[in-house]
Amino acid sequence: MTLLPWRKQLQEPAGREAASFGDLALEQIPALYNLAAWLTRDTNDAEDLVQETMLKALRGFSGFEPGTNFKAWVFRILRNTYLTSRSGLAAMRTVALDDELDESGDARLPQAAIERETPESSLMRTRDADALRAAMEKLPPHLLEALLLCDVEEMKYREIALVVGIPIGTVMSRIARARACLRRELEARSALNREASR
Amino acid sequence: MNEHETSEHLTAAQLSALADGEIGGEELRAAQSHIDDCLPCARRAVDAWLMKPAVGKAGNRFEAPSEFRERIAKLVWRHLPPEAILEALQPSAPRLHWNATRRLPLRSRWALAAALVVGVSASVFTYRSLSSPSSEGDALANEACDLHIATLAAGQAPQVVSSDRHTVKPWFQGKLPFSFNLPEALPLDTVLDGANLVYLSDHPAAQLLFSIGHHHVSVFVDESHGVAMRHGRATRAFKAAHEGFNEDGFESGDLEMIAVSDVDPARLSALIDSLQAVQGAQ
Repeated sequence: MTLLPWRKQLQEPAGREAASFGDLALEQIPALYNLAAWLTRDTNDAEDLVQETMLKALRGFSGFEPGTNFKAWVFRILRNTYLTSRSGLAAMRTVALDDELDESGDARLPQAAIERETPESSLMRTRDADALRAAMEKLPPHLLEALLLCDVEEMKYREIALVVGIPIGTVMSRIARARACLRRELEARSALNREASR
Repeated sequence: MNEHETSEHLTAAQLSALADGEIGGEELRAAQSHIDDCLPCARRAVDAWLMKPAVGKAGNRFEAPSEFRERIAKLVWRHLPPEAILEALQPSAPRLHWNATRRLPLRSRWALAAALVVGVSASVFTYRSLSSPSSEGDALANEACDLHIATLAAGQAPQVVSSDRHTVKPWFQGKLPFSFNLPEALPLDTVLDGANLVYLSDHPAAQLLFSIGHHHVSVFVDESHGVAMRHGRATRAFKAAHEGFNEDGFESGDLEMIAVSDVDPARLSALIDSLQAVQGAQ
């Protein structure tokens, strides 16, 4: 992996400029580990991935411009490290050839709109986090990573674009498609539950 | 149904971006206006708002084990530049960072660097004295662990790259004042990656590099000084000094071997067992 000098436009608060690598890096460990575990689906592999990310970040820190977005920088290293791993290569091989095919995601509006109980409202009602996690596990990696960076890491689309190395429009499309996939999966699960309860 | 319901609905991408706060200006006003009059889109907008925090909560699923966090913290700490080490050891000292030093004139930077070297040396000495090695054996184990981490951090190819013991062992001929044997068969999932010539405790030593699964292992082969294994085979004191990295080793005649890795101790022991079994059979 090449660690490119990080001269991006995103600025962090001025006070962060003075923070050292240790301060910045260790703060990100829980989030890096969480994403790594989702991507690798294995806690040992996740540890290896985060450790390798830290070593690469240490080596490449001279190329990081103080005051710019450290979080996006280190997440990009993690993602690139994952991509160059055997499991990452296999998982991402199917990456989104259809990214540009459906910018709108899965609309399916008329059918969804007339339902009183939507997957989302059902989810909130039953607080079935397990069902949601199971649905997330079925997402293709390129959709899952965009969704996690957005909803868990609360990154803006432009930050996700930096991490993943894709245009903002594609980020928007992937997140919408990820949510559409979750919706479909939750709908299917909900239908099965209804069948079972009859 | 009012007239807006017959107009074009918001796309899933628009609704998704709306929930993420990624729509602004005229586009936001248009979307809000549409939602005000379009029940299906209003429902879907609410659904998107509900989905986002639910995913955020469900997605925050894996917690890094405390041992792992400590190991990474140590890894990072070990490789921090002198300024940061000084700062870590002297919390009351003014914060000095690369950014700040870059703004200083060259002469001042050299003066600062010299002061830092003195300061860091003193601090590291104090730290080591406090945290630390109560014996030469522990000091050697510290050094072996440092070398292993430095090798990981450097990320360079071994000086001799081979999984063939008949290539790796002869490579050290003329470079080391001793010889050693490598086993023909290694434990399951263990691979010889190559080797480096290093200096351990001011003596030339072989650093044999193995992989056990995804984990990297360094086995340092050195002339025995009668100190490395003072704590016996298990070297418990080493583990206490290097939380997160396990060490194992043995002495055999004039030879000693110390293995360092973050791999499971049992698998590290299996590798050491296989190495020990073939020493003395030269």
